[in-house]
Amino acid sequence: MKRPGGSVLWLALPIVAVVVFTLLLTVSLQRMIRIEADMRVEAEQNMLWVMHESEAAARRLREAALLAELDRAQEADIALRLDILRSRVALLNEGPQRRFVERIGLGEDLDQLTTRLETVAPQQMTPAQLQASLALFPPFFARAANKTMIAEWDELGERLESYRGQLQKTIVALIGVMAAGAVLTAALVLALRNSRQHNRMLRRARDFSGLLIASSGEGIAAVDATGQCTLWNDAMADLVGQPAQQAVGRSLSDVAGFFAIAAVRDRLADALAGEPGQLLLRPLFRDAGEVPIHVDLRAFPMRDETGIVGAILFMQDASDRHAAERRDAELRERLEQLVVERTRELDDALRRERSAADLYRNFAAMISHQFRTPLAIADSALQRLIRRGNRADANEMAERATRARSAIAGLTRLVESTLDAARIEAGEVGARRERCDLVPILADVCEQQRAATPDARIRVIVREYAPALCDPAYAEQVLKNLVSNAVTYAPGGSEVSVTLDLDCQGLHCEVTNGGAPIPLSDRARLFERNFRGANSTAAPGTGVGLFIARTLARMQGGDLVLLPGDGETVFRLTLPQAEGTAP
Amino acid sequence: MRSRAAIFLVTSLLAAPLEAGDAPPVLRVTGTIAGGVVEFDLETLRDLPQTTLETSTVVTDGRHRFTGFLMRDLLHKVEARGDTVTATALNDYVVEIPVSDFRDYDVIVAYAMDGKQLERADKGPLWIVYPRDDHSELQDIRFDYRWVWHLSGLDIR
Repeated sequence: MKRPGGSVLWLALPIVAVVVFTLLLTVSLQRMIRIEADMRVEAEQNMLWVMHESEAAARRLREAALLAELDRAQEADIALRLDILRSRVALLNEGPQRRFVERIGLGEDLDQLTTRLETVAPQQMTPAQLQASLALFPPFFARAANKTMIAEWDELGERLESYRGQLQKTIVALIGVMAAGAVLTAALVLALRNSRQHNRMLRRARDFSGLLIASSGEGIAAVDATGQCTLWNDAMADLVGQPAQQAVGRSLSDVAGFFAIAAVRDRLADALAGEPGQLLLRPLFRDAGEVPIHVDLRAFPMRDETGIVGAILFMQDASDRHAAERRDAELRERLEQLVVERTRELDDALRRERSAADLYRNFAAMISHQFRTPLAIADSALQRLIRRGNRADANEMAERATRARSAIAGLTRLVESTLDAARIEAGEVGARRERCDLVPILADVCEQQRAATPDARIRVIVREYAPALCDPAYAEQVLKNLVSNAVTYAPGGSEVSVTLDLDCQGLHCEVTNGGAPIPLSDRARLFERNFRGANSTAAPGTGVGLFIARTLARMQGGDLVLLPGDGETVFRLTLPQAEGTAP
Repeated sequence: MRSRAAIFLVTSLLAAPLEAGDAPPVLRVTGTIAGGVVEFDLETLRDLPQTTLETSTVVTDGRHRFTGFLMRDLLHKVEARGDTVTATALNDYVVEIPVSDFRDYDVIVAYAMDGKQLERADKGPLWIVYPRDDHSELQDIRFDYRWVWHLSGLDIR
């Protein structure tokens, strides 16, 4: 900006001026003090008056002596005049006066007069003698006065000349002082002007940076080293919902809860320790309950030449970005879900494929196992009929034929249910949902079961009842399966109970028998397709009954579960209650 | 009535030394004082409270010890009322001195210097002495001319 030579000159000039100023002022002061002292001392000598008084005293004494000659003076008067003259001479002989007399060259004359005065004795002298002896005194004092005047004027002239010289030097010194003062004043004025200009530039720079901060769309806040807020721009006020008046001068964590969060506090502390940091997409709640905005926060330390003086925070509303990211995340999640679903579907398809293959592969084995008994029953009934021939009466014939038909019907059901399972698995079966009364269906099922197994004891209990929302055919099939299982596995003709009940989850139908408990290991797999429990191997069955039953129950919006418990086995079918039939 | 009584009292008091001693009077006080005119001989003046003062003078070398009485004691004694004292000397020297000088400074009327009585043939018998060394403002020619030696009269106005 400025040449270094210039600034050195501007620094040196005032210093030189101050030194010159001080020196000249000291010199002139010393000079003036000397003049003042001279004036005081010199002005106190007044020898001309002393000489005049002495001459007057001498003349008065002579006058008295003359009067005495005429007998007109008293002795006392002469004595007084003589004493006064003596006192004058004594005065002249004293220190300062004596020295002056010697300086004007009358010392010896004064000595002679002093000696003469000592010999004057009015009592022993005639007035004429007295007068004669005093004759020399007045001329001496007149001469002395003359010389004194000349000497004093000479001295006065010299002194005035000396004063003039001193004063001239002092005037020159004072002119120098004024010049130095002028230089100092000029330097001061220039320095002031520079300082004002500098201030103006600083102010302009500050105003500009203030404008920058104020017009920034980004929230800007600054804190000092103690964490007190010193700056809070409009964008920050909008973001946080607190005006600058509320923020400046307070600790940030008091301004808004957002700044009291540990992560934000840590970033601020790091920035004050010299470590810049940022936080992305932090939720910022302006009011409790309101949907938060999401902000990016960056914190930087502020340094000057002495070190860290504070920190500055930039905050940006990143809600749009946050929303976009969330949309992306949701999309990704949906895609993943879709993939999972498709994978599962594919897996299911594959498994169905495999099951079908298994079904067909096992069909022969199943037929050999499941079909053998009914076929044997039918065969033996028919053989008996043939053997009995004509001996058989109509009753016996009907009885044996019915047995055979019943075995064949069982076979037909077996085939149907196997096909049902295959169809369900293939997803070909859909359920109707209609209002449906379970009580007649249940009665029908029990009747059929009793026909099939006349020994079976089945008890139906209706505790609380309402119509269900279901497919009646499927409901019948499920119930048939459950009752038939219960009867099959009920030990030694013990009673099977079927209970209808109602609660908030829907309509329940619990089928209970006192059969041997199902082993824990089997319970979990009981509803799997083609699973046959450890105790079921002796009984006829395909292993698909419970699987189909549960699948059908679920298709109707209900469920089929095995309730936990010892001593008895309870299967519970739950079906949704029909609308408008709340108890 | 009162003033006349006061005058009588003062004259009766002062009459004693004047009548008793035949020493010549050395100081005549006139003007606005009790009795109008009072004359003192040296003995009477010596009866005033004695004080000493050590100072230099402009007409001698070195410092000297002066013995005498305070001028304000004398003025009090004569019940002086006035602002100015006109001092006259035997050699007809006359000077006016403001009374404030005697109030402000311990101005004495000396009758002895360095223990020796002041003689008329020197600066006696009475010499007004200012405490010149004790007050710098007294080191001024306008005070120097108030050092009246051969003091013989005081006129108070």
